[in-house]
Amino acid sequence: MIDSCAVNLSRYRSAPATGLPAQHVLDHIPFFPQADYQCGPAALAMTLAWSGLSVTPQALTSSVYTPSKKGSIQPAMIGAARRHGRIAYILSGPEDLIREIAAGHPVIVLQNLGLAWYPVWHYAVAVGYDLKSEAMLLHSGRTARKRVPLKLFHRTWARSNFWGMMTLPPKEIPATATDAGFVESVFGLEQAGQLEAALEGYRTALNRWPANLAAGIGLANVYYALGDFAAAERSLRATIGHVPESGAAYNNLAQVLWDQGKGPEALKAAQTAVRLGGKRLSVYQKTLNEIQKGLGLLPSDRDRPQPGE
Amino acid sequence: MKTVRYRLKPVSMFLAVLMILISMPIHSALAAMVSTDDVITSGRADKARALISEVLAREDIQGALIAQGIDPLEAQARVDSLSDREAIRFAAMVEQMPAGGASVAWVLGLAVFVFLVLLVTDILGYTDIFPFVKKKA
Repeated sequence: MIDSCAVNLSRYRSAPATGLPAQHVLDHIPFFPQADYQCGPAALAMTLAWSGLSVTPQALTSSVYTPSKKGSIQPAMIGAARRHGRIAYILSGPEDLIREIAAGHPVIVLQNLGLAWYPVWHYAVAVGYDLKSEAMLLHSGRTARKRVPLKLFHRTWARSNFWGMMTLPPKEIPATATDAGFVESVFGLEQAGQLEAALEGYRTALNRWPANLAAGIGLANVYYALGDFAAAERSLRATIGHVPESGAAYNNLAQVLWDQGKGPEALKAAQTAVRLGGKRLSVYQKTLNEIQKGLGLLPSDRDRPQPGE
Repeated sequence: MKTVRYRLKPVSMFLAVLMILISMPIHSALAAMVSTDDVITSGRADKARALISEVLAREDIQGALIAQGIDPLEAQARVDSLSDREAIRFAAMVEQMPAGGASVAWVLGLAVFVFLVLLVTDILGYTDIFPFVKKKA
């Protein structure tokens, strides 16, 4: 429940206790003044430009702005970030905002500048904070580094349930990231077909969390999709080294080995997957059957007697 | 950059593309492979199950279940039989509950949790408490 009359700023004020500076401003975040209703494209252009791309709000408008709504919906912002090869990472909560800015990451924030029953939604980019004078600094509207009192910022931001998004190059992990959260955001790149970016993201994840199964499987899947079977094999063997009980890793390894013509090894891997079992046993069994048929160890469907014979 | 004129309105176009992207498998060659999505969902489901079990194991929850005539071990077994998606959704509901203490909010949260467990087990056909849940004859 959000009590709009008494704003609890302790989440922000506790920052110095956790070793963060009492104030921090990111000087180098590009500023694009927004055109009418175009705060979404402007905000996204700013963080994408900071992340190393040369973009303008105009170029983003078609993918981000919805004319009938006179605004940009959050999924469109996330999708557009991914299509530019950037991790779209959503903040878990307001306490993350200060940490991320302190780590040098600008954050797109969604505010309701109006009222609950008459909302005026607005995207701005948080580029700094000053806990001593209790202010947030935002690239907002047509003002760069606009100082907004922390209480007011908190109230307007609370109405969007503290929605905040960073657009990061895949080699950069958010300061507040969890392993699951980061890997899921990398998967967003894989799903969007941004395979090179996804590769970099999964490698970054495995660097920090070497035993993360989803990242290991994801890395191999992307190599496989790119046709680099040797690299897929190497990734899966590394994954097995960290997670020896993973049927999924052995199953996928079997497929990758098979596609490289390494039949006997593929058979062993598929058998191991089946032995490990688990809820995907039927998938592993299918892989094993296909390999056995391919090696002539089982009658193929052509040889099997047909009904009625 | 070439501009492309759309016949459809931009919103419908966006939605249409989004629907296609979501429903299409990325690469049909991966039919035999376990997808990344699958592993991520399993991971989330495992965490969800751990959370639900943790809450179920609490003395006050156990007491509330017994008061309703439910064997807590049975409740745990039924929760174990939830699908991945059901477990994730159930855990999300549980996480929304207030954290503890003797406040009114907590007592309400407790009642909600017990209600949810019973509702789930009713739907799965293991209990028969709510008349509005349709039972197979």
